[in-house]
Amino acid sequence: MKKCSLSMVLYELRNINGNLMPHFFGIVFPNLMCLLIAQTVGSEMTEEMRREAVTSIMLTMTLVIPMAIMLIGYGALYALEIEKGIPLRMRLYGFGEKCEVPAKIAAHFILMTAALLIFGGFQAVVMKVQKPSAFALICLVVSLYLIGGIFLVIAHALANILKKFSLTFGVVMCLYFCMMILTGMMGMRTEQLPMALQKVARALPMTYVSNDFIDFWQSGSYNFMPFVQSFIFMGAIAGILLFLSGIRDG
Amino acid sequence: MLVTIRQLEVKYGSQTALRIDTPVSFEKGERIGIIGSNGAGKSTLIKALLGLIPYRGRVITNLKPEQMAVHMQFNEYVTTMSVKYIMETILDTKIAKNKELQELISFFEFESCLPKRFNALSGGQKQKFTIIMVMFQKAELTFYDEVTSGLDFETRQRLTEKLSQWYRDKEDTLVVVSHYYEELEQLASKLLILDKGRVIAFGEKQRLFRKYCGKVVLIMENNDKNRALSRNFPTLKSPEHLIALSCEDEAQEWKAMKALAENNVNFKRSNSDIEIMFMNARERFYAQQKVSSER
Repeated sequence: MKKCSLSMVLYELRNINGNLMPHFFGIVFPNLMCLLIAQTVGSEMTEEMRREAVTSIMLTMTLVIPMAIMLIGYGALYALEIEKGIPLRMRLYGFGEKCEVPAKIAAHFILMTAALLIFGGFQAVVMKVQKPSAFALICLVVSLYLIGGIFLVIAHALANILKKFSLTFGVVMCLYFCMMILTGMMGMRTEQLPMALQKVARALPMTYVSNDFIDFWQSGSYNFMPFVQSFIFMGAIAGILLFLSGIRDG
Repeated sequence: MLVTIRQLEVKYGSQTALRIDTPVSFEKGERIGIIGSNGAGKSTLIKALLGLIPYRGRVITNLKPEQMAVHMQFNEYVTTMSVKYIMETILDTKIAKNKELQELISFFEFESCLPKRFNALSGGQKQKFTIIMVMFQKAELTFYDEVTSGLDFETRQRLTEKLSQWYRDKEDTLVVVSHYYEELEQLASKLLILDKGRVIAFGEKQRLFRKYCGKVVLIMENNDKNRALSRNFPTLKSPEHLIALSCEDEAQEWKAMKALAENNVNFKRSNSDIEIMFMNARERFYAQQKVSSER
């Protein structure tokens, strides 16, 4: 079996770029949403308060990037390939899962990085968000890549379990919107949700990024324990799904 | 010996999809045609040889998976980029810099298809795309599983002719699965006849023809006049619209031909008709099975 190579990563990048859905949901949509929501921020506010509000919107919208690219983008792309039997065809040419999947992962992380850079540039130049402390910025970037990685595992496992594009796309879209509602990305704060849903929301790392990161964005301290626990919980869910997909594949 | 299959058994649930009791061997340079009706186990055999499905028994070979190339019945690729990029990635080369690949592309008149996406190719072009990549792999053993299925008559003929031309002076070992007898007449020198997951016959095409049909068969239309005429000669099982006379030697052949000519009957002479050979091999196999089960 062949090993993962640069040409394979380039092939996967072309593969992603051939479908503009992740680009729209991962690049255009969060920037557009930030711009639109920022317009609604009260004009009576002081400039500093307005910038804080815009920064908070930016933190929430950043989460759309890993969700759109890794969960929806990867899930839809891989499920479509499985449904068509493309991984088997590639395996018969010597490109096994150990070659193809790392190339796909690398390509998706490259796209996510590009999306984050565009988003970051747009937020700094156009939206004029508050300048973060180095610690807060590192926390955000690390969190986004971890969330992206977990979503990628979930998307891979779901595609492997469901085997059909329509089913996988339906499930990842449901997850996407549910998580957007739960983690405050749809405008409703987590505290406004019913108690049971608040508990579910607290098990998701996106909730903390969306609601709490603004508290230490420029300075201050933060208790990371519940945030780390939420990563462990979501990582465990992803691990279980991956294990189940392995069983499904025999 | 390139591949030897011994006591192979493939099951789908409780159903036996394929059972090979007598050893079957493929030797280097052979062109083996696998023939059988739907559900005979043709594709199952290829999948077992490629290790894609679990089986009981032994497939003895020194070949590694990368030394085998396969054109599956259904070959799909991503539709997000032109087939040129897919080809260059899979074959790990640049078309512009590879003379051999350029030659193959030109042989199959595929140049104009390179900028297109896979979903924009016609059925025949899709098959050519996979064939080019399979051929370029220059594997020790190449499988073609129903390479022309779903194509119109003309495209099928042109593609078979191209395949036959390409391999004419080469020493590659081919295993060709097909429903089309004329395809196997052009591409195969040995036949493996399967039916309902069992091996009906395996051997040189000519030898099998001799065994099941005789030296020559004379084939004519099935009508009242020809049926009456054929009563004087040994007949073989044949498609319903045809009558096949079996001739064991030259004298018998002349006698039959003379009778047909005298009665102004149009007929076709063949010493390699795979369809009639297949039908008679199958009939004899089940007759023998019946006899041995009655014992």
